[in-house]
Amino acid sequence: MREYTDKIRQIARRLLEEGKVDRVIGFKKGSMPMMNEPCVIRRPQDADQLIWDGNCGINLANYLTGAKDKVGVVAKGCDSRNIVTHIIENKLDRDNVVVIGVPCQAMIDKRKIAAAVDGEISEVTETDDGKVVVRGNGFEKTFDRAETLQDNCAICVHRNPVICDEPVADPVPEQTDVDRYADIRAIDAMSDAERKAFFDDMFAECIRCYACRNACPLCYCPTCFVDESRPQWVGKGQDENDIRTFHFLRAYHCAGRCTDCGACERACPVGIKMRVLTRKLEKDCKELYGWEAGMSVDQRPPLDAYKPNDPDAFIK
Amino acid sequence: MGLEPGRLHFSWISSAESTKFARVAQEVTEAVKALGPNRHFLKEKAKVA
Amino acid sequence: MKFVKIDEKQWAEGIGKLKSGYRVFGPVKEGKDHEFRELTGDASPDMAFSNTRLSPKSVVYPQSEVMFEYTTDESRPDHHILKEPRRDDTPRAVIGIRPCDALSFLLVRRNFDSPEYKDPYWLRNYEATTFVGYGCNDPCATCFCTSAGSAPHDTQGLDALVVDRDGGYAAKAITEKGEALMKAAGWTDAMDEAEAEALFADRAAAAEKKITRQVATDKLAEKPSMDLYDAPFWEDVAFSCINCGTCTYLCPTCWCFDIQDECRGCEGVRTRNWDSCMAPLFTAHGSGHNPRGEKVQRVRQRFMHKLKYYVDKYGEGIQCVGCGRCVRSCPVNIDIRKVCDMMNAYDPEAANDCACPTT
Ligand code: SF4
Ligand code: SF4
Ligand code: SF4
Ligand code: SF4
Repeated sequence: MREYTDKIRQIARRLLEEGKVDRVIGFKKGSMPMMNEPCVIRRPQDADQLIWDGNCGINLANYLTGAKDKVGVVAKGCDSRNIVTHIIENKLDRDNVVVIGVPCQAMIDKRKIAAAVDGEISEVTETDDGKVVVRGNGFEKTFDRAETLQDNCAICVHRNPVICDEPVADPVPEQTDVDRYADIRAIDAMSDAERKAFFDDMFAECIRCYACRNACPLCYCPTCFVDESRPQWVGKGQDENDIRTFHFLRAYHCAGRCTDCGACERACPVGIKMRVLTRKLEKDCKELYGWEAGMSVDQRPPLDAYKPNDPDAFIK
Repeated sequence: MGLEPGRLHFSWISSAESTKFARVAQEVTEAVKALGPNRHFLKEKAKVA
Repeated sequence: MKFVKIDEKQWAEGIGKLKSGYRVFGPVKEGKDHEFRELTGDASPDMAFSNTRLSPKSVVYPQSEVMFEYTTDESRPDHHILKEPRRDDTPRAVIGIRPCDALSFLLVRRNFDSPEYKDPYWLRNYEATTFVGYGCNDPCATCFCTSAGSAPHDTQGLDALVVDRDGGYAAKAITEKGEALMKAAGWTDAMDEAEAEALFADRAAAAEKKITRQVATDKLAEKPSMDLYDAPFWEDVAFSCINCGTCTYLCPTCWCFDIQDECRGCEGVRTRNWDSCMAPLFTAHGSGHNPRGEKVQRVRQRFMHKLKYYVDKYGEGIQCVGCGRCVRSCPVNIDIRKVCDMMNAYDPEAANDCACPTT
């Protein structure tokens, strides 16, 4: 990861020095174990604040929405696909963004690690030979990095940026034999009652803070339907129907757009696994339209283009 | 989402197909009636502490 | 009977007895984390916790609460009359609240119980509640209670304090309410006063030593508000914030709410729900104007409110008890300890050559 960090700093410094960009968006070291903070660098001499490691799971495309200046952005595979989506949706001009592309080695999941140890973690380090060493008060535990990945990263098949102006390293091999939808098929196979119970349980702890929505680069509506009060589409309290309506509708708004970057699950303070909703729609888009979000700036997404051969078997 | 199949119907009806519209409306009504009142996703009154 | 000892058996029995006179709330393990929940049936508090993920403020101040109900059905005699719903005013007991969280209720009270205004909803719940604290032995790395007017064994806001003791607990009654609760629980096994004082003092000192992070707040009061408001660092502090509101929902001292009506047919309720200064809608005017339309203004507001306006308004320190929840749960690692230090050290004269862009 050291090489990645060095290269990112070098590129950022050069872009700023040459005046190619007004600012660079990346990550700086956080104040907590397994936390980095998205940051903006405006002067070449500040480029050394930038870092890269397995704790850069926040999707930086979220900070580009509507940008009008020249921006450099550090982007892993999923971020780059959200940048593409921004471009397709006219939220960003391709000419205004310089993608500093990071061939991604997948992000580590702070919750998984916290759950695997007893006691408070004081330090987490990643080694060059693919281990994660976790230290805390009176314990030290080593994990295989592969066991500690965020759920979405473990099944990711697009780790290399799809658009890239300044590569940080050579492409990494993509995973091929992953089953992205095992859990989705299991939910599909449930009876109505089982599925209702599954969702009841899944959302029981949601506090409607909307961190999942706000961490998502796709959720850029000026006023979200859940916030609207005239008309009040959804109740504002803790009623389970309202909570579920929020989650289902948000997922639909992300259909054909979600890149499964996992920022939503990562941001949720209570650990709700809402990606099953977006992945169900991802699966449908793939099966019905052969579509994967954010792969090319030249193709219109299935939900905003009509084709005579669109599947319509569900219409009587 | 926990909604029963049969509660949601899609149909493509041109403005010229009045008989199809009547037929589909009838079918949908019957299908939904057969399912009985909806029990899922139904908010009686704001539930609060 | 100021000090009592409670063995494991008496503890469990006591919790059971309390349930006949109180609604008992305590920490319960949910997944990896703990939450304060009402203990019904034979549920008992799980005291092996550092602190809960959400603060216990919801015991007194639920996330969503009905203020009144109404009907517009004119065939009913009480149509168009606002009626209070039936309330459960059974005394409540919170078992195992941490001292930082207990202090938070005193902070929040300045807002809900002032000479000008008394909030009936909050106050009734508050007055019905007895707070039984649990002294911390192992503060987290994110705890900074000693910089925020509290301490791992502080008793402000508590009615009784429980600490660990070989084979069980020792408890100290602080108020009459606390004493009554201990009696109701059957925790009456008096402890030698000198021995108890020593135990409480030792535990307190040992825990305090483990607090590693201090935050400076001493200069906040003397700084002109406008200097801090115009400080150049806000843009950088706010950059990463996604305005999610996690920090405010988890915080024991955040008290803001939003009022909404919900109706079905002719029947309706007016509810109040937690709100957050991080949400753009929070300050949106009916006219469409929004005085805090930009993220940086909202982030600044949260910190200025907690660390400056509150300090100036009440002269009782910051509106933060140092529980560290916002530090632990912010998805982008915005750290109030860093911001507080920055504000406390800010000198506009020296800031001229600051790297940060001006707002
Ligand atoms: S989803 Fe893929 S590209 Fe994105 S962080 Fe995970 S492994 Fe990397
Ligand atoms: S982030 Fe988590 S708790 Fe917050 S609204 Fe989303 S699912 Fe609910
Ligand atoms: S939790 Fe963090 S990101 Fe969310 S509103 Fe608070 S400071 Fe901003
Ligand atoms: S501001 Fe943060 S540390 Fe302070 S009381 Fe609130 S959640 Fe705890």
